[in-house]
Amino acid sequence: MTQSPTLSRRTASAPTQPRKSRRRGADARAGYTFLLPWLLGFIALTVGPMISSLYLSFTNYNLFDAPKWIGFDNYVTLFQDERFLQSVGVTMQYVVFGTPLKLAAALAIAMLLNSKRKGQGFYRSAFYAPSLIGASVSIAIVWKAMFGDSGPVDQGLSFFGINLGGWVGNPNMTMGMMILLTVWQFGAPMVIFLAGLKQIPVDLYEAASMDGAGPVRKFMNITWPMLSPVIFFNLLMETIHAFQIFASAYIISNGEGGPAGSTLFYTLYLYLRGFSDFRMGYASAMAWLLVIVVGIITLIFFKTSKSWVHYSGDAK
Amino acid sequence: MIDRRKFLTTVALGTASAAFLSACGQSSSSGQTGSAENPVTITYTWWGNDDRAERTRKAIALFESKNPDIKVNGNFSDFPGYWQKRATEAAGGGLPDVMQWDLSYLRDYGQRNQLLDLGTVKINTDAFDKSLLPSGQIRGKTYGIPTSTNAFAVYYDPAKLASLGIAEPDGTWNYKEFNAFLAEVGAKGNGTLFGGTDYTGIWWNFNIWLRQNNIQAFTEDGKLGFSKDDLKKWWNLTADLRGTGAIVGEDKATQLLPKSPFGSNVTATEVTWDNFMAGYLADSGAKELKLVPVPSDDPDNLGLFLKPSMLMVASAKTKYKDAAARFIDFMVNDPEVGQIFKTSRGVPASKTQRDGTTFEGTDKLVVDYEKSIEKYLKDAPEPPIVGFGTLESTFKRVTQDLNYGKLTVDGAVDAWFKEAEDLIKQNA
Repeated sequence: MTQSPTLSRRTASAPTQPRKSRRRGADARAGYTFLLPWLLGFIALTVGPMISSLYLSFTNYNLFDAPKWIGFDNYVTLFQDERFLQSVGVTMQYVVFGTPLKLAAALAIAMLLNSKRKGQGFYRSAFYAPSLIGASVSIAIVWKAMFGDSGPVDQGLSFFGINLGGWVGNPNMTMGMMILLTVWQFGAPMVIFLAGLKQIPVDLYEAASMDGAGPVRKFMNITWPMLSPVIFFNLLMETIHAFQIFASAYIISNGEGGPAGSTLFYTLYLYLRGFSDFRMGYASAMAWLLVIVVGIITLIFFKTSKSWVHYSGDAK
Repeated sequence: MIDRRKFLTTVALGTASAAFLSACGQSSSSGQTGSAENPVTITYTWWGNDDRAERTRKAIALFESKNPDIKVNGNFSDFPGYWQKRATEAAGGGLPDVMQWDLSYLRDYGQRNQLLDLGTVKINTDAFDKSLLPSGQIRGKTYGIPTSTNAFAVYYDPAKLASLGIAEPDGTWNYKEFNAFLAEVGAKGNGTLFGGTDYTGIWWNFNIWLRQNNIQAFTEDGKLGFSKDDLKKWWNLTADLRGTGAIVGEDKATQLLPKSPFGSNVTATEVTWDNFMAGYLADSGAKELKLVPVPSDDPDNLGLFLKPSMLMVASAKTKYKDAAARFIDFMVNDPEVGQIFKTSRGVPASKTQRDGTTFEGTDKLVVDYEKSIEKYLKDAPEPPIVGFGTLESTFKRVTQDLNYGKLTVDGAVDAWFKEAEDLIKQNA
């Protein structure tokens, strides 16, 4: 664990020849010109709003009147706000349970789809499709109808003698429903897992078979370590993604985070604070707190990853 | 390959004709008004259900046929989503030209210069009851024109009561009697029909109760006029009913959204504004719904008042002040518009519209109801404080938590007061 992976293509730079430097300057200019539209958009639509939201997070701003500077008041008030704490709890539940389940589903299906069989292309598309449309409003509406009172889920379960009633109106069931919705959208991490699985040399498995390793052993000793950079990537992306859940929660709870605050996700509360209660300064503070927390979690992931993520160049 | 000269000529011609066309468009006095050939388009938005959407479409079509120089682009949403959209638009400076408005939000937007001072444009208010117009005014400026009036009432479905063998109420009841009535419906309804929704969850109902007890909801300097104790008494009124058949469970009510439990035939009664009649009839498919006054422990003071059920407002930034004013004038005064909406927006506020409308059947019930309570009517309460919309929705949310059993009455009172005091401090 002492040596960090070296990327060979970065060190292998292009041959430098003085007579071509003029040409390279022109190339750079052309490059920047082509980059310009994106750069302008990035500054105007991302950096600009971020800076102004940072400023607003220290103010009392109601969208209409000029913002009033109040220092750290918003950040202090946040921690006395029960609904804020509730939204943190709801979001953490979703991240902690939803993300690993989703990744497990993605990995399991990816391993199934990795083996050669008939109609493989069809299955891959079929499993990927939900994540293409999953974030859309229409799916949230369908989901709500499915889990509603006497919806298909309720009826299906009562066929087996389980009478839970509708999930949408039951504060104890809504989180399960939201997690199921995200697990069902495992397509994107699945595709990445699939690509990762293809990279694992088949002879490793063959050798293991000769040594008499079973499927569990092969998974633990070959698949998991070989796939660990991909698992790490997916874990990071999906965790960040889970923190940002909004659209489906908004639709399923009619934009209110109900019932009884059980779907009051962080971003939903942020939105309600900003646009329902006209407290944009407060909402900005919430947004920046989210940035900071996600940043810290990412950092922790990177720090701990050293102990379990293996790159092919690593000396063991 | 494209011929270079041909290409340049085309571009030049195109630019020239575009300039020419836009010059034509502007030639008709400063671009603010349209003509039959080149109408201006104003946007109009409202909240409501399909029934109102259908009626509004008819009214817009009528307006366009009478005013060929104006086109109206309409769209609508449900009530909670409506205000979130408006806030987003206001922040971006792009409110629709004309909007249906609610008293709860008039101060928030009017006081912050988002709404057009309708005193500066031509809208005829001669046919309005003079006591009603001030409710659209803030600090001497008119921001909203009432389309109609409504009053609070208890709805019931006579057919459902008959099927349970329960006599129809006559509307002279105190809270104890009303609760007993809800409980009886619940007991006989046996899980399929509930007494009603928790009536203590509606701010305006609480406001009426306060008036019955001679308490003002808000003081003149924008503070709360009632105490924690008052609110505790109010939420304790239905404490024994929550979780029984008298009150429909919150989980069930949530599932039914955006329809109300009453509109979905799950409850036999509903306490709310009398202008919901058309919507409830359309939603529930009931043959007939009736209205009686709200309960009161003081039979001489029902605390009732007429409120502008909706207002018409225009955006302060509209480019088409004249067209917007003509559309508002049309929507509040035209007799044919009254004929289209009947009482679905409330009883028409302008006399010309009232006189031009024939009220039959259920519409007549609404008009008759407002006549029957005339002797109990008092002045409308003070225009609500800035941020009232938030207080109103918090009121509803906290009562929902009560009904879910997530909060005790004491906890609910504390939660609401904390929010209210915070909000008043914010806007001070």
